[in-house]
Amino acid sequence: MASLIRSWIPLLILQSFLVAIAFGSKEAEEFSEALLLKPLPDRKVLAHFHFENRAPPSNSHGRHHHLFPKAISQLVQKFRVKEMELSFTQGRWNHEHWGGFDPLSSMNAKPVGVELWAVFDVPQSQVDTSWKNLTHALSGLFCASINFLESSTSYAAPTWGFGTNSDKLRYGSLPREAVCTENLTPWLKLLPCRDKDGISALMNRPSVYRGFYHSQRLHLSTVESGQEGLGSGIVLEQTLTVVLQPETTSVETNMQPSWSLSSLFGRKVVGSCVLAKSSNVYLQLEGRLGHESKNVDTEIEAHKLWKNADFDLSLKPDRVLRESSSLLFIFDIDKSSDSEPFDLGLTWKLPSKWSCQQAPLQATRFLMGSGNERGAIAILLKATESQEKLPGRVVTDGRCTIKANIFQIFPWYVKVYYHTLQIFVDQQQKTDCEVLKKINVSPSTDKVSSGMLEMMLELPCEVKSAAISIEYDKGFLHIDEYPPDANQGFDIPSALISFPSHHASLDFQEELSKSPLLSSFKEKSLVRSYTEVLLVPLTTPDFSMPYNVITITCTIFALYFGSLLNVLRRRIGEEERFLKSQAGKKTFGLKQLLSRLTAKIRGRPIEPPSSDSPAAQSSFLSSKLIFKIILVAGAAAAWQYFSTDN
Amino acid sequence: MEETSDRLNPTTDTSGIAPEFDPKTMRSTKPGLKRLFITTSVLFSFLLGVPFLWKSVEIYRSPLPFHDIDSLSDQIESTPLQFPCNFHAVFVGFESKDPDKLRSQIQDGINQLTHQSSQCGSCNFSISVTVQNQADQCSETLAYNPSMCSYRCGVIKRNEFGVGLDDTVDESLNDVFSGCSENSGKTYSVVVVNKENANGEDEVIKAVVGKRRHAWVVGSGLEESYGDIVARVSEIFVKVFMNGGRDEESIHGEFMPVGSDGKIVLSFSLLNSNPRDWVYDWDFQRIDDALLAPVTKALAPIANISVESQVLYHTPKSSFSSWDEKLQSYIFRTSDLPFFVNSNEWHLDTSAGASGRSKILQFVVYIPSGKECPLLLQLPNGEISKTNGFISPMWGGVIVWNPENCDKDSESPSRNTISPQDLEQIVEIFLGQFRQLFGFKSEAIYTSGLGTYKILPSERGFTEWELDVLSRKHTCFNLHSCSTTLGSLSRLVRSLPRMIIKDEIGEQVKYSLKAAKLAQSNASLGGYSSSASSSREARSLAENAFFHPSIMSVSYFSYEHCFAVYSPFFLPVVAHIVFAALREWKGYRQEKAKYLTWLTRKKTA
Repeated sequence: MASLIRSWIPLLILQSFLVAIAFGSKEAEEFSEALLLKPLPDRKVLAHFHFENRAPPSNSHGRHHHLFPKAISQLVQKFRVKEMELSFTQGRWNHEHWGGFDPLSSMNAKPVGVELWAVFDVPQSQVDTSWKNLTHALSGLFCASINFLESSTSYAAPTWGFGTNSDKLRYGSLPREAVCTENLTPWLKLLPCRDKDGISALMNRPSVYRGFYHSQRLHLSTVESGQEGLGSGIVLEQTLTVVLQPETTSVETNMQPSWSLSSLFGRKVVGSCVLAKSSNVYLQLEGRLGHESKNVDTEIEAHKLWKNADFDLSLKPDRVLRESSSLLFIFDIDKSSDSEPFDLGLTWKLPSKWSCQQAPLQATRFLMGSGNERGAIAILLKATESQEKLPGRVVTDGRCTIKANIFQIFPWYVKVYYHTLQIFVDQQQKTDCEVLKKINVSPSTDKVSSGMLEMMLELPCEVKSAAISIEYDKGFLHIDEYPPDANQGFDIPSALISFPSHHASLDFQEELSKSPLLSSFKEKSLVRSYTEVLLVPLTTPDFSMPYNVITITCTIFALYFGSLLNVLRRRIGEEERFLKSQAGKKTFGLKQLLSRLTAKIRGRPIEPPSSDSPAAQSSFLSSKLIFKIILVAGAAAAWQYFSTDN
Repeated sequence: MEETSDRLNPTTDTSGIAPEFDPKTMRSTKPGLKRLFITTSVLFSFLLGVPFLWKSVEIYRSPLPFHDIDSLSDQIESTPLQFPCNFHAVFVGFESKDPDKLRSQIQDGINQLTHQSSQCGSCNFSISVTVQNQADQCSETLAYNPSMCSYRCGVIKRNEFGVGLDDTVDESLNDVFSGCSENSGKTYSVVVVNKENANGEDEVIKAVVGKRRHAWVVGSGLEESYGDIVARVSEIFVKVFMNGGRDEESIHGEFMPVGSDGKIVLSFSLLNSNPRDWVYDWDFQRIDDALLAPVTKALAPIANISVESQVLYHTPKSSFSSWDEKLQSYIFRTSDLPFFVNSNEWHLDTSAGASGRSKILQFVVYIPSGKECPLLLQLPNGEISKTNGFISPMWGGVIVWNPENCDKDSESPSRNTISPQDLEQIVEIFLGQFRQLFGFKSEAIYTSGLGTYKILPSERGFTEWELDVLSRKHTCFNLHSCSTTLGSLSRLVRSLPRMIIKDEIGEQVKYSLKAAKLAQSNASLGGYSSSASSSREARSLAENAFFHPSIMSVSYFSYEHCFAVYSPFFLPVVAHIVFAALREWKGYRQEKAKYLTWLTRKKTA
């Protein structure tokens, strides 16, 4: 199949060009990788892979690339994406145990299935087209059914409830999308080292997908160069967050399980990705040593930090940073090699207990009502223990309040009655103006667009619980609109609860830190949490129903038509006469009645049973039979003719 | 049997009216037609409704011009597309040669070479010959083409010609033949110069084909062996100018690597098979601007070319290589080539920029890892390939580039940039491969039985006469593919009578046929670029029609469905009506017979 160039003759006299390629003079594409490990209070371990790829402002985006994935750059160029986030998630983030008030959870706790939002840099009228094209392109790129977000019934344009205020923002989610390796492989393909080398080599598929929570995220944003005639730069951030259960051998139930990288993932890191500018592993221990002295300058104390009475680290950290309530050990994996793989382990010696910082309110959502006709959706916000300690309370008019934004999309077949919105604070119904600061409703249109509800609540600080309920009617879908396995029910996407006056950030006071992971932690991120996905059972029709209906109506019509024709045609008087003459012969009342009945049913006079000879009857029968046979044969022949014709 | 019969009771009537009246066989009144009329009118209204029902279940099919499609494909099959070409031969320094005789000899030579068969995309040539004798006097064949370039007699000096660089000779010939009108096809000229055998030694005949549309043969004593020279001139016309110097069987015209929307994406990938050993980078932006831009510009009439590049890492090849002690290098053989491209690990990616049906040509520069460095390609004859690369038709090409120093000096991988000189070399190999993908030779020499011809390479990758050949072949290929696509579409449409065909498809087919017709007429007039563009349009419209999304929606409203939906109603109703009509008709005839017998009885009585 391959033909050879058999010989090399200097074919073309090319203009010789001498260019001093000076890579230092211009900014190059940069890639960095990081892994954050964090033991969780409920005996699980969180692993957060973070990859960042930066393309400097250039005009050759989408055409010439060195490290940055060409596919993503072409996507950005073609659809003029300003900012975009795509996440694939399986499992639900446990806000109670895994934290709800740190940058990690506010950015990586995502709703089940696929979530996509994007801001475009196109005129307002073209935003929807761009969105539709983008969903198709992403669908192909990530082997997922993201293209279902194309239909206008599945996405919405949030105004302020989502946190990013832009009128060119589109948001959509697919709660039922199953996430598996076929989505991870194309995601890994965007990394220069894929899973061949560096930290990503840890991603052993069975161990990654065995976890309790798995969220794979891709966030890209364009950075304006600010220079005339120069394109914008792109920052691509890829994260994978998994929560794993270390296998424990210890019998003590209150003891935290000890683990190592190889026991968690079944693999070890044998070196960094050579293309990465920085590749670090971080270990974050929360809720520890808050009472101890702040300075860790001396060698002995530093040593104490990683080998002490509580726990042992198998490797010496390169640096230790501390925040108000947590410790961060930093390991540089550049030094590891094939002979000396990097296998960080944590061994607990004493039972220890701590808790994560939680969001001010914990949100759950559930359905109320029964039957296939109507129901109600309720969102319950419960105060958490840590609520009092949190910053971000706003004191207005002498009252201390907590602000909470609720953003919810309703599919059109869930017909929400917005006037039924009820708000209860501490089991007492409140009028709207008391707690509802702002509300934005865009009602759904049948089969055209989905409904959207954005609410801003202002709850008193001492609130114990708040509940919002709204009633809905279940709509009827056209028979074509039911998905396969319609009896499973229909999903209502997660609601997003965000707290606009609360921002999570972790500042390790590391002035030297150029680590993209730490700098992303340092940025103040909006505290947000997603609720459960609701499953609404709708009345599903019997899908053979159209044919049943057709058959029944046709039979009724046929009956009606036949009897009408009979009424028009039949001669009642003659038949009666005939029956009278029959009655003259036979006097049995009952038999006469029967024969009259049969005559009526058959619509023709019955022959007296004795009058015809059996031979005549048989010949009559046979002629009728032959006629029937001919009719059936003719129909069969016609059928055959038509069916072979096409 | 009619409604009056219940008024007059036959049992009472029998004794009254006539003595012979038998109520079983006779009747006294005319049988009524009312019931018969009702049943037959219902039956007829049903029969009348059948065409309407038929019409209502009919699916929409836009009428396609089947006849035109068939005639187009017949035409393309039977009469291959030919472009007008003018061949002009100038013989300088020949005595006593009759130009008309020379012309007929060249004509014979050409006919012999083309075997009288006209290939698609070949030339419909006209030949003119000028002979300039040693005294600079000219005699010409009667030019039956008035637009033909006229050669001004005596411009080419017999003894001064061909001195100096070939490039300058080419330029001077361009001046000589400038002012040719290009109205009816391109004019190709061959100048044969018979030099004086000044120093007495046997000079080699030198044949050169220039960058434009000129070739020259210089030698001494040509007058004596003029039969040979005439054969060579006709060979230049046919093998070089008409067929582009390519072997007929090498790459068939079917494999024109141009997408059906007339676009090519050249995707360059630099593969670092193991970045732990060394990492190489390139500055492709400069290459693109400096070296590739002229090529893409030159090929603009054929295809719209865009260039992309990327660098990939951890991309081992999937074939094995072995250590060769003698060469001190790892070698891979031509038999390994089908397994060289590792489609699992080389995520070369289709480009989002290549929307629709563009053609992507992958050009891969493979940098071997430390374990297989240097990596050389061994040809079947045991030699080492000088380009160290290979092509795969319609896919692209691979070049193996070995780093200068294969020793890994340190633990940490070295980060290097391929030097501009090396890059230049890589681009040269690539251009050779690119030419091969288009079916041209990568060599600058064309050898035939009669001798060798030097071909001057163009810095744009393709010379003008090569571009002419390409646009002829491209037009031909486009028209051919357009007609086969439309032919398949018409066969498909005719074989599936229940398929919905939208108006858009009909329109596209119509416009495609129109464009194909236009391309044919432009080609016969000699408009190279106009016929190429309209043939491209014809092909892309035909493909659009064939791959229209709606074409897949074969109606599920099948005959079975029809029966299932309509039979519950129509079967019982129609049975009712037909039987009722039959019975009424039978009864009417019976009664009428009764009446008639009574009438005759009455008459006789």
